[in-house]
Order: sequence, then C-alpha cells, then structure tokens
Amino acid sequence: MSNERYLIVSYFLVALVSLCLGLAVYRVLRAPFAAVAEAAAGKLRSGVLSRAFGVCMTLAAVLGFLSVSYTERGCMNYEAVVKNRDYLVQVNEKQLQRTADWIVAAVFLWCFVVLFCLIALRSVQANHPDRT
Amino acid sequence: MSPHSVTFLTVLVLSILIVVWIDRLLRPGLRGVLEQIVALPAATEFYLRAFATVITFVALAAVMGTHPDLKDGARFMEYVWVVAARLQEVFQNLLVVLLVYVGLITVLMAALRRKQ
Repeated sequence: MSNERYLIVSYFLVALVSLCLGLAVYRVLRAPFAAVAEAAAGKLRSGVLSRAFGVCMTLAAVLGFLSVSYTERGCMNYEAVVKNRDYLVQVNEKQLQRTADWIVAAVFLWCFVVLFCLIALRSVQANHPDRT
Repeated sequence: MSPHSVTFLTVLVLSILIVVWIDRLLRPGLRGVLEQIVALPAATEFYLRAFATVITFVALAAVMGTHPDLKDGARFMEYVWVVAARLQEVFQNLLVVLLVYVGLITVLMAALRRKQ
C-alpha cells in the first residue's frame, strides 16, 4: 500500500474509530445518567440532558481526532507528510490519544453535572419530604 | 513483527491488566462509599462506570503516546527500557486521574453530606 493510500484509509478509519469510541462511552453511561437526570429534573428536562450528554461525548471524540494536525499547523507541506510512513502512524496514534484525552475530560465534566443533579434532588427532597 | 509492534502490544496487554487490577481492587470500596453518599443506585452506577471508563481511556491514551524508536536487531534490555518508559506514562496518567477522582468524591461527600 502506498503512503498516500495509507494516509487516506487511515484518516477515515481513525475518524470512524474515534466517533465509535465517543458513542461507546455514551452507551455505557447513558442508562444510569438518564435515571439520575430523570430523578432530579423530571422526564421532560432529563430528555434534554441525556441528548446533551450524547452530543457532548460525540463532539469530544471528534474534537480530539480533529485537534491533531498532519502539517504541524502549516509547517510541513503535503509531500513531506506523505513521504514518511512512520510519521503517518505516529499521527494516527496521536489522534487516538487526543480522542481518549478529550473523552476523559468530558466524562469528568459530566460527573460534575450528575453532582449538581444530586444536589438539586436533595434540595427538592428536603423542601418536600413527601416527594421521595 | 517490528520492534515497534512488539513493544506496543506488550505495553497494551500490561496496561489492560493494570486497569483491570485497579478496577477490581477499588470497585467494592468505591461502591460502598458511593452507596452511602449518594443514596441513589443509578448515581452509584454512573460514577462506577465513569471510573472504569476514565481509567481505561487514560491508560489507552498513555499507550498511544510518544515513544522512543527501536531499530531492528535491538537487544532485550532495549525492549525492556522502551516498555518501562511507556509504562511510566501509563502509571503517571493513572495516578493523575485517580487523584482527580478522589477530589471528585471528596466534593461529592462534602456537598451531599451537608444537604443530609
């Protein structure tokens, strides 16, 4: 396989893998998050929160993938990029690394959202002890 | 198989083992603490799954990270040094994430205990 062909195939393959990683994390965390959101915010607003959660995870994964530049932000030209297969492999690894980093950051962010949901739930329960 | 692939696969397998070990070690205690603090099974499940996800992804990110190159015909100890250098990054990232998670649980405890 020529380097140029490898570049094209690996670029779209890694993009797909990154997207799938984001969606996989969303699927793993979706059910418990939806239950917490529903308990804290009611059915209507929990739907919005769950959708925002899915969008955030997907965007984090895509953002991680897109944040890696093949041309070092314009410092290398296309020929120099394509010439070296090792460099192409390194960039693919970096793309996956950044995807994982952004997903971790997004998960931590949503851990705090769940914390705020729990605080809101406690406040409601304290004000209306009959609503448990 | 190239030296790069050998070291990559070795570190990947070792990282998976480390992640599984940390998860198995901390999960029962973490579940108990979370059940006591949040008193909502879905929230406990969310934080446990988030923990497993975070340590898995942070280990994967470290495995994918920068790496010294090995030439063909490298000696055994050169492989060991490269694996050790990569594992150092895995441990470092895991430690940072564990500290952040401990911070999160502390905030959770402080915020929810006050409301009880």
